[in-house]
Amino acid sequence: MRPSASSLLFATALVLGCASAQAQSSRSAPTADCPKGVVTLSLLKPLNNPPFPNMLASWQAANPCIKIDVSELPFGQLADKISVLAAAGTPPDIVVYDGPNTQTYAAAGMLLPLDSYLPPGFKDDVVPATLTEHSYQGKLYSPGTQQTTLAMFYNADMLEPLGIKPPTELGRAWTWAEAMDAFRKCQKEVNGDVTVWGLAPSRFGAGTPGFVYRDLIFLRTHGDPNAPKDSSAYKTYFAISPDGKTADGWLNTPEAIAGATFFRDMFNVAKITPKAGIPTSFQDGKACFTLDTSYFIAGLIRANVPFKWGVTPMPHVKTPIVHTGSLTFGVMAKSKFTEEAVKFVIDVSTGANAVAYANEQRILPVLKSVAPQMPELKNYPLSIFQEELNAWGHPRPPSPNFAQYDKVVSDALRDIAYGADPKTRLDQAVRTLQPILARQ
Amino acid sequence: MIARIFASDGQYGPSLRHAAAVVAFVGPFLLLLMTFQYIPVLTMLRDSLYSYTLLNPDRRFFVGFENYITLFTDPDRRQSFAVTFGFATVVVAIIVPLAFLLAVYLNGRLPARALVRTIIFLPVVTSAVVIATMWTFLLDPGNGLVNAMLRAVGLARLEFLTSKSQALPSIVLLVVWQQLGFATVLFLSGLQAIPREVEDVARVDGASPAQIVWYVTLPLLARTTLFVVVIMTVFCLQVFAPALIMTGGGPEGTTNFIAYDIYQQAFSFQQPGLASAISVVFMLIVMLISVVQMRLLRTRWNY
Repeated sequence: MRPSASSLLFATALVLGCASAQAQSSRSAPTADCPKGVVTLSLLKPLNNPPFPNMLASWQAANPCIKIDVSELPFGQLADKISVLAAAGTPPDIVVYDGPNTQTYAAAGMLLPLDSYLPPGFKDDVVPATLTEHSYQGKLYSPGTQQTTLAMFYNADMLEPLGIKPPTELGRAWTWAEAMDAFRKCQKEVNGDVTVWGLAPSRFGAGTPGFVYRDLIFLRTHGDPNAPKDSSAYKTYFAISPDGKTADGWLNTPEAIAGATFFRDMFNVAKITPKAGIPTSFQDGKACFTLDTSYFIAGLIRANVPFKWGVTPMPHVKTPIVHTGSLTFGVMAKSKFTEEAVKFVIDVSTGANAVAYANEQRILPVLKSVAPQMPELKNYPLSIFQEELNAWGHPRPPSPNFAQYDKVVSDALRDIAYGADPKTRLDQAVRTLQPILARQ
Repeated sequence: MIARIFASDGQYGPSLRHAAAVVAFVGPFLLLLMTFQYIPVLTMLRDSLYSYTLLNPDRRFFVGFENYITLFTDPDRRQSFAVTFGFATVVVAIIVPLAFLLAVYLNGRLPARALVRTIIFLPVVTSAVVIATMWTFLLDPGNGLVNAMLRAVGLARLEFLTSKSQALPSIVLLVVWQQLGFATVLFLSGLQAIPREVEDVARVDGASPAQIVWYVTLPLLARTTLFVVVIMTVFCLQVFAPALIMTGGGPEGTTNFIAYDIYQQAFSFQQPGLASAISVVFMLIVMLISVVQMRLLRTRWNY
């Protein structure tokens, strides 16, 4: 009885802490080839994300005196794991984390600023969205690996018989009303059971609706960055105050509530997308449309799906917007092998490695100098993502407490998708968030 | 004590050897108990008076009872307590009588009794994570087996875990299914320990089977019943995996059990001080419940 809750924290920390012991950095005795010894760096990363085995193998072949000991875990557990390792004082040397958390980790003194290690002119070469996301108080904490934005993939074989031809230029992008019309026309039902959904369920986060990266856009698109700065339309677009410390009046504006109501009605009134479902619905031909990143292109090609598919820009209401940000590399401030860890991070994020990675994975590069070396960026469908990044891209609401913002808002949007009252639920999220955002 | 350890001639006597044996046997367990129980509890008590984050635990502020005030005034925390204790009450109220009836049934002359017991006990020894994942698939509103069965017999689909009103009952059903076997086996062992002569005497005196159960079996099972009630209550108050894997505490906090809330507050929201305060209050309430249960179910008969 007594151990139940009281020791839960301790037990969890113990279990996660023990897991961390699997990857400890070290330096071996000097050898003929490595006079300083072989340094083993510990690296923590989410599953199925960079650095991929071929990247590691080629880098280690060029740097035989440094070994990388990789620990992997599901993306959903990454932030909790990092916080436990930080509390235990046993962080890895290198961590692959979600870019918007840079401010959180930098404010806690966990990350090493990289300004003094980066080549001259590096900051001028980084796209502005990445520079903003990975900086805190004027210092850059990660060079960035890739950028992402969302667009809408569609099953062309399903749409063609219906005479639906989604636009491929940003200037002709659908509004959400037009997209809803297409969803309704394409959805198929047999005896009241949906056999083909208009819009596929979310593949992001825990596979439930609400993930901020994908679904906060439904609220922010009701805002307007060109409106007066004290207007609710302006605040809706940014969804958090400029200092990242206030959500009240930014997340629960009338426009945001209108966006949340539209979002709820997609699931509960129009019923064009399921509240839960199989993450491969689109690939399986069980959904006409899906919202995904440029990563998905490689996935569809690899899966060799038996239908024609296309990509159309993200729909909007008042202001087109897509979230930016992706996984990135950081060096932990407590690393005993800073020099080696920094070398790895900068090597894999810049130069020939960055070009090879961008072309291989069809990602959006963060370095302007890489873009011209990636011809595919100019070609459809990758061009849509690149154009969106430049024209509509905006970071997820930046804050030193972004991880908490992300969690609270994702939970709120999930509940709204399940049918909660948008105003009540957004107000509740703000009530939960406010003391967390405002803390020192 | 000292006087008893030393013999009258000042030499070490048998008492000292006894004390050394006690220390040798009990010491390691006492050390483990101190390390993994009492020191963490004391640490938790201290931490509940501070505000800090796990990302930077050295930067902490003494806030007195502020975390406790937050706990008692925040409607989300109150909901979490209400959900957890309501859940435990319902599950225990279902499991105890059901397990008793099942144990009485299994105590009879049943063909393949061992096999049936194994089938009933199997969910108990299956990982909570596996069970939660399996039930997530079963209860999927679109593609779940349960909804497929409902549709096959012409009934409407249910939303289960995505519905504010159906999520908690779904988890009640899961936990009853999972823990019924354990409670049944406990009752079964209690039944088999009752001297057959007592029931035989009642039968000779003309008691009906129902009267034997009510006036003989149940009173003599008081100790077992107490154990089952306490164990099941404790288990229900500890429930964590279904919230983590199946619902994320939702929809709208209806499955936000305390253990999950503590985890969320500490690791996701970076408020370990508040998480510690919740743990302290939770621990005190659970201790109180256990004392009350032991008093109410205090046995009056021995055999």
